[in-house]
Formats: sequence, C-alpha cells, structure tokens
Amino acid sequence: MVAVRANKAHRDERIALVVLMSCSGVFVIAIALILGFLAFNGTRLFWGDHYSPIAFLFGTNWDGFGGSYGAAPFILGSLVATGMAILIGGPLGVAIGVFFSELAPKRVASAFKPAIEVLVGIPSVVYGWLGLTLLVPAIATVFHLPDGDGLLAAGIVLSIMILPTVISLSEDALKVVPNSMREGSAALGATRWETITKVLIPSASSGIAVAVILGIARAIGETLAVQLVLGNAAIIPTSLLQPASALTSEIVMDMGDAPDGSGFKHALFAMAFLLLLISMGLIILIRFALRRRT
Amino acid sequence: MMTESQSVPLESLANKMKIEDLNIFYGSFQAMKHANLDVPDRHVMALIGPSGCGKSTFLRALNRMHDLTPGTRVEGKVTLDGIDIYAPTIDPVTVRHRIGMVFQRPNPFPKSIFENVVYGPKIHGETNGKRLAEIAEKSLRAAALWDEVKDRLNRSALDLSGGQQQRLCIARVLAVEPEVILMDEPASALDPIATSKIEDLIGELKKDYTVIIVTHSMQQAARISDFTSFFLLGELIEVGTTSDIFTRPKDKRTEDYITGRYG
Amino acid sequence: MAQLAVATPAVGRLRSSNARSRRIVDRIATAALWIASSLVVLLLLLFIGYEFVRGASAISWHFLTGSPTAGEAGGGIGPLIFNSFYILILTLLFTVPISVCAGMFLQEYAVGGRFKAIVQFSAESLATVPSIVMGLFGLLVFVSAFHWHFTAIGGALTLTLLNLPAMMRVTQEALAGVPATYREASMGLGATKWQTVLKVILPSAIGPLTTGVVLVSGRIFGETAALIYTAGASVSYGRSAYDLNPFHTAETLAVGLYQVHREALVPDVDRIANGSALVLLVMVLVFNVIARVVGRQLTVRFTGKA
Repeated sequence: MVAVRANKAHRDERIALVVLMSCSGVFVIAIALILGFLAFNGTRLFWGDHYSPIAFLFGTNWDGFGGSYGAAPFILGSLVATGMAILIGGPLGVAIGVFFSELAPKRVASAFKPAIEVLVGIPSVVYGWLGLTLLVPAIATVFHLPDGDGLLAAGIVLSIMILPTVISLSEDALKVVPNSMREGSAALGATRWETITKVLIPSASSGIAVAVILGIARAIGETLAVQLVLGNAAIIPTSLLQPASALTSEIVMDMGDAPDGSGFKHALFAMAFLLLLISMGLIILIRFALRRRT
Repeated sequence: MMTESQSVPLESLANKMKIEDLNIFYGSFQAMKHANLDVPDRHVMALIGPSGCGKSTFLRALNRMHDLTPGTRVEGKVTLDGIDIYAPTIDPVTVRHRIGMVFQRPNPFPKSIFENVVYGPKIHGETNGKRLAEIAEKSLRAAALWDEVKDRLNRSALDLSGGQQQRLCIARVLAVEPEVILMDEPASALDPIATSKIEDLIGELKKDYTVIIVTHSMQQAARISDFTSFFLLGELIEVGTTSDIFTRPKDKRTEDYITGRYG
Repeated sequence: MAQLAVATPAVGRLRSSNARSRRIVDRIATAALWIASSLVVLLLLLFIGYEFVRGASAISWHFLTGSPTAGEAGGGIGPLIFNSFYILILTLLFTVPISVCAGMFLQEYAVGGRFKAIVQFSAESLATVPSIVMGLFGLLVFVSAFHWHFTAIGGALTLTLLNLPAMMRVTQEALAGVPATYREASMGLGATKWQTVLKVILPSAIGPLTTGVVLVSGRIFGETAALIYTAGASVSYGRSAYDLNPFHTAETLAVGLYQVHREALVPDVDRIANGSALVLLVMVLVFNVIARVVGRQLTVRFTGKA
C-alpha cells in the first residue's frame, strides 16, 4: 500500500517538475521572441528601406510622411526628460527615504507607508492628465508663456512619478542595515547625520542603487504621462519650455497613423527597438556592475 | 589572581567617574534603582550579576547611549572628572568621544580595516593622511591586532574572524583617544582563545584607560578586574575590591550569587 | 606592548574642537529633511486630493454605467470600466499560473544551475521592456501575425508578458518568507518536494502572495501604453457595449481617458476625463486596501498567526 502511494507521489513529482520547468521556460521564450521581433522589425528601416543608421540616429529632420527619419530630436528629448527626472527625483527620493527610515517617529512613518504605496500604483495616464491640467498651466503662468508644455513639465511629472518608488525602496534598503551599525557609530561620538552619511548610506548603497535604477527604468519607458505634457514637436529642443518630443511619445502618437509597410512605420519600429536596447542595456549593465561590487 | 590594588581600599583612589542616585526607566518600568558608584581612575571595574539584573542598562547610561532609544528616561547624576555628563549644556557627542564603548557582538562597519579604525578621528576633525595612518597603527598595536592585519589594511573588516573583529572594534575606540572604555560582555560571542586575548588586552589597557566591563562570567571578573560591583534586579547591591567581593562578600545576596545559588 | 600617550583635555572641559559645527550641521540637515519630506508628501497628497474634488462632480450612476456618446455631451464610462475588469481577469488567468509555477520552480527546486540563471536573467530582462514596446510586440504578433486585429485577448496576452516578472517576484518573495523549518519538518516526514510545496509552503505563503497579486492587479487595471495598439482604442467600435467576446476590441478606462482627450470629439472632455481619473484613483485605493486586508485575513486563516 505504501509502495503504491509512493509511486504515485513520485509520478506527481515528475509531472510537477515538468510543469514548473515549462512555466519557467516561458520567460526565456518570451524575451527571446520579443527581442527577435523587435530586432527584425526595428532594423527593417536599414536593411529593407536602406536608410542610413547614422542618419537615423543623428539626423535632426523628422518628417514621417515625407521620408525623412532623423530621430535625434526624440532621442535627445527622452534623455533630457529622463535625466531631469533622475536628477530631481533621485536625491529627493533617497533623502525622503532616509527621513522615513531614520528620522521620522515610528507612528508617522507607518502612517505614511501605505500612502506611498498608493502613490506607486497610480496609473501613468492619471499623472499625465494631472500634469496636463495642473502643471502645464502653472508653468505657463509662472514663466509668462502661452503654453507650459515641454521638457520642464515632462521632467517634473516624471520625477513625481518615480519618487514613491525611490522613496519606498531606499527606505527598505536602510531598514535592513543592522542597528549595531548605528550604535557603533554613535558610541564613537558621531552625530546622527554623520552616522547616516558615513555609515548607513554606504552600507545600504546597493539597495539604494536598485531604487534609483528602477526609477530610471520607469522614467525611460514612460509613455502616456510624457506624451500628454511634452507638446510633441519633432524638433531639437533648445529650451526646457518649448514643446518637444520623446521616443515613447512619438511612437504612441503616430503608430496608428503610419501606413503598414511604409518607411514611416519602420522608422517608428526602429525607435522602439532603440528604446528597448537603451532600457534593457542600461539596467542590465548597472546590475552587473553592482553585482561585481558587492 | 591577585592584583596590586587589592590592598588599596576603593575609597582612597582618585575617581574618574562618579554615579549618584542613578534611576533608569524603560517607559514605566524602572530598570535601575538609586545606583551609586565611584569608579577609580585607570583600574578595571567589573559589573556582575544574573541576567536581567540591569548591569548593561547601567553601563549604557554611562555614555548616554539611552539617548538613542526613545521612551527611556535617565535620572540622576553621572560625572566624568566632576562634570555631569547629563547636564543640559553637554553634547552627548562629546561625551562619547571621551567615554568609548565596545559591544557584545563585534560590529565593524562594512568598510576596510583602515577606514574602520580612522572613522572616529576623521569625524572629530583629523584630515591629515599621515596623522591618520599613525593613529591607525598606534591603535591597532594597542589592540594587539597590528601584526595580523598590517599587510591588509585595505581589505574589508568583515573578512576578519570574530575575535579579530572585536579587537578591531577596540582599536576603533582607542583611535578616538577616550579616557574611559565601557565594555558590554566583549568576549561573550568569542571562542576561548580569542577571549583570553581580549582579557590580556584589558590587562594592558588599564594602564592608560579606565575600564568598566560588564561580564556574566564570575571567573572572568576574578581574572581581570580590580574592583567588582554586584547587581541584582535593578539594584547595585555591593561594591568592593574583587578579592573582597569574591572571598568576603558583605551582603548575603552577593554571597548567594558568588556561590552559585543562582546564575 | 607599546604604551599609548593619552591626550587629556584640560580639566573642566567636555568638548572636542569641532563638536559645535558638527552639531549645527546635524541640526540643519535634520530640519532640511523634515521640511523636504513633509512638503513633498503633502504636495503629492494635495495633488491627488485636488483631482478627487475635480472629478467628483462628474460622478453619477449614469456616468458609471452609461455608454460613451458619439459626439454629444453626457456620455458615460460603463463599458470602459467593464472592459478594464474583463481584461484584468483575462490577464490574471494567464499570468498567475505561469508566474507562480515559475516562482515555485526557482525558489524551491532549482538550487543554482544554469537553467535557473537563464530563467532569472530572462525574467530580469523581461522586466526592463518598456510598456509601449511590449504593446508593439503585441501589435506585431497578435494583431498582425495572428490576424486577430484589436482584441481583448490580444491585450490580455500582452499584459501577461508585461507582468510576468512582477508576479514571479511576488511569488518568490512570498515563498522566501516561509520559514525553512516548515520544509524540513515536511521532508523529514517523508513527503516529496512537490507535496511539501503544495500542502505546506504554498498555504503558508498565501497571504503575501495574494497581497502581491492584488497589488499587481492594481497596476494592470491602470495600464495604457501596452493596450492602445493591442486591445484597441478605435473611435467607437469597441467601447459602446458590454461585450464578453474576447476577440473583440475592448477599450479600457485608462485607455479611454487618453483617447477622450486625444480625439476631443465630445464637448465635455474635461468632465469625462476628470471623472475617469477619479474612478482610476479610487480603484487604486480599493486595490491597495483589498490587498492588505485580504492578505492579512488569509495569513491568519492558513497559518493561524496574525
């Protein structure tokens, strides 16, 4: 009797293993397919339509229907908007994470934690709508302009969007540092600020770095929020207060209008592929660097 | 093992620290009641007693570590060279500069050995690289660790063994040049060989520093201390030279603890 | 042993030379952090609260259940809400089994080994794909290659790919939270690994697992970029009816918010947009609350500890 049950149990075990491994395999197949499809369609502009990659990456003249596919304005727009988001949202997020972990009284910190989690979950289209209807008019008023859209609005909206993530993860990273570090530093005569900057943040640096990386990831890939506040002018931005464009916003705007099989559509796919490469490459590179350091 | 101070009564030595009517509360629970103690300069004072008797709580009041735990209240007077360290005008940061602490579990920072040792001096304003290197060597020698680490000062402190880490923590404390060193069961997490190294070290340290050491081991207290204080249930029961406490205790409760009636 | 010369400060002084400036720095830094944090969190909450107030005037029974109009004012978002839930459920049907199984495999079975590393790397890479790019992949595969055109199921499959890594991480964390002693006890009684995972570990982890699933659901509910070109945002076709056919277009609430502004075909765009935004915000809150409450209840139920 026991032997029969044991055999069934072992057979179940084998079936289970097959199922679980197959599900794990889905991940591998998925990323391979995505890379494959995007690479194929993303490079079609170059090997199919014989458009020069240099002209694509560095050309500043974009005219989808007219056959000119210089994507530099979008690349620059994405980089500037993301850069602003990280420069504002990164340090601010870490600082507030420090606040919640080290300075705030327990009750205040635990009251705010659910609030931060809710902020993480707010859809980007809502952030975009709020940016469009609240922030853009405010910028227009402050700077005496007819319209407030542009990279400044996008940068601010993006930094607001990544703040909750950076705050939450930085706070978690700091909480993991054992209390014996805080005591040891205090016992040597350090002030709390010195303990934070010289011991705690260095100890939590890999966790904080992950927080910032995830912030960058969200900012680069963000589509709706930036599309609504950027103004969508396909020119190289000369000021933060002019309408501009980014890779994501251009793709979502024109993908529906570009005719199938046209150079326009292929150019959009090339932009998507570029976006994928930047996003994936940046994050994986940084993760590798982190893993080597610890 | 007899020390030379056994024949010198406690009262006649110069006091480095004086604790008067110390009361410590965790919320509404009173963990230390009306403790009074004179700590002689440049001797080793052991604090013994069963677990939960408050000896660690008492020790932490001596360098204002309780300031870091909200909900803890310290009342009474703790003086260093006659100055009350709890006076409102006194900055706890400077208190901890002059009264250092070594903890039960070694707690080196995740930095290099060198960075750990010079952390204190750097904070207190020393920026000269040459001076820092000198301080590091001096402190590591005084902690009996120099020979073992001198070739790998830039390696992570976390690679050291437990005993080495604890001696590194001692070197770290020595580097800020305190006058008093508080030790909270410094060898309890270490193996016997590492423990005896730490005990030898304490024997050397007392030539230049006042050492107050909490220990749960009576044998350790008997080995290394000049004076002993016995705590029980939040009260300081008896103080005296180590040999007096262990051979001629005045209080019955002390005698019961010494003879092992409770542990 | 070398003797140390001890520096004794002058009697009566209890100061080190730079203590005062360090104390000032400490006070300033502390104050700055307090101010910055309070300001930012308050501003964020005000931002959101303002939208609540603005959108509240749009909310009515008709708004929440009625259909969008073809050009007049007074349209509702009923079918859009329905589509959001519909696509959410479809997505979960695919995502949860695959992710949980993969998570179980990585956490309980594969100890080191090349396959585990490849899967882990694939999951991390998958997580870096921006949502619009995933939407384009869905466009290429489901809409074009499969010739489905815009469908709810196309959107759901795209969202599945987008959320597989997050759901797997949720599973792994939930499983990691189960004490090793449970596994040891079960294996020690002669259970196979699968029996242990199914009967001991999974029930213990059900609380954090459910919390994670509900939180990810909240994000799926608000997803836009990946759905525009897979589930569709056509002018009127897919949004005017409560339709259960997965092979029809299905415009969700989040996509609808984007579209109503972009198309600007109706005169009361602001009213509809604000109302939609409010509903989305409320749903985020609801998902968050449910995640916590249900998670805690399940943990108590299955493990007996609060």
